[in-house]
Amino acid sequence: MQNLQFGPVFAHSDAFIDGVISTLVLAALSIFFGTMIGLLGAIGRSYGPRILSAPIGAYVEIIRNTPLLIQLYFVFFTLPLVGIKLSSNWAAIVALSIHLGAYAIEIIRAGIDSIPQGQIEAAKSLGLRPYRIVRHVIVVPALKAVYPSLTAQFILQIMGTSIVGAIAAEELTAIANNLVMQTFRSFEIYIVIAMIYFVIVQSASLLFAGIGRLLFQWKA
Amino acid sequence: MRYQLPYAMLASVAALIFALVALPTVTMAQSVNDIISRGKLIVAIDTTTPPYGFLDEKLEPTGFDIDVAKKMGEALGVPVEFVTVTSPGRIPSLMTGQVDAVISIFSITPQRAIQVDYSNPYAGQSAVVIAPTGTQIASHEDLVGKKVGVTRGTAEDGILTAASEKLPGIEMLRFDDYSSLLQAMVSGQIDAMGGGDYGEIYLKKAQGGDAFEQKYPLKTYYFGIGVAKDNHNLRQWINTWLLGMKSDGSLEDLSMQYRGQPLPALPVF
Repeated sequence: MQNLQFGPVFAHSDAFIDGVISTLVLAALSIFFGTMIGLLGAIGRSYGPRILSAPIGAYVEIIRNTPLLIQLYFVFFTLPLVGIKLSSNWAAIVALSIHLGAYAIEIIRAGIDSIPQGQIEAAKSLGLRPYRIVRHVIVVPALKAVYPSLTAQFILQIMGTSIVGAIAAEELTAIANNLVMQTFRSFEIYIVIAMIYFVIVQSASLLFAGIGRLLFQWKA
Repeated sequence: MRYQLPYAMLASVAALIFALVALPTVTMAQSVNDIISRGKLIVAIDTTTPPYGFLDEKLEPTGFDIDVAKKMGEALGVPVEFVTVTSPGRIPSLMTGQVDAVISIFSITPQRAIQVDYSNPYAGQSAVVIAPTGTQIASHEDLVGKKVGVTRGTAEDGILTAASEKLPGIEMLRFDDYSSLLQAMVSGQIDAMGGGDYGEIYLKKAQGGDAFEQKYPLKTYYFGIGVAKDNHNLRQWINTWLLGMKSDGSLEDLSMQYRGQPLPALPVF
């Protein structure tokens, strides 16, 4: 067994803190935008006219059938050719949001499909206006039904941020790789970042569970 | 069944004896006369280092280093036998006498020269800053306010990162591989890049790659032909032969052919 030396690793602890912050910002922003895309997309795909639901379906299929890495390359390397130049970090947020959005659409749509038609008809016969039907009778119960699957996707998203170093965005894994090249302490560095990711993801799971309890207190 | 074990043992004992007898004979340093009387020159190459060593369409070794080896064989009047080695395998191949010479982007360093001997440099390569033709970049100071791309962990990364620490305002973007770095340069995501001085020939193959040029060198590495330690006989002949290769322009021609540009000034020692 190789002699593990964590001294040179902890000497760079400020770099790790920067990395953790970048990872959390990337994850939080892309989860927010991705969920917005998912919510609007799912409603559009389920209830919108064909001219709306067909492109949303195409978007979902294209994103879900291509690797995240290729989507990152596309946003960072190919969009500048048509004049859209995003910095590494913004390109990462855009690609991650688009990626999560497609999965979120499918997850939320499954929830919407699970709402019995009778429940919507009951709401109509009670005289609820369409907005209130969509919000209270469809979307909230749908979200409650799929909330565990949605948060599982959020967890994958947090871990997905670890590959955005490929387009030179500086997050935890990219910073760790820089340190590996500087200190050659690859073993120690990867052990440390594995532990950091574990703590982040565990905390996120607890946070999502807590949010779920707050949002969906009542029984449907 | 019963007799197979003794046969196997006999074979392995024979192999061991053969190895013990054969090894000392191949570890002897080969003088120029030994090579000529043996009738072949054995050279270690690496075929994964374009444009210096790679495989052509027929999967035959080709490249700058391979042509240097072939010309060396021509000068000695013997055919060349190639032994493919990886970069960490270069020094052991000389120390065990498997090859007469290593011609494989073998950078001359004092640490390596403890274990092997080097000829004078026959080629050199610089890590350089490459940027679009229109930009004025002549030193680290001119990179302030610009996005500079490198491949993570290379010599260019080290030199430019050190510069960015002294000169705040140089934004470093580190990519995982050279192809991503070139793509970032071509798509305009970075303003300048650190890379090998042959980087342009790859940039020029990419879309819109004509608009880039080398701006200033960061560090130059010199490649020597490696021979076994204390094989002065062969090393002296190689140095003499290299003098001719330099003065008749053969090396320069090879550089233009494979690297698309002249060699840097080559020191002698």
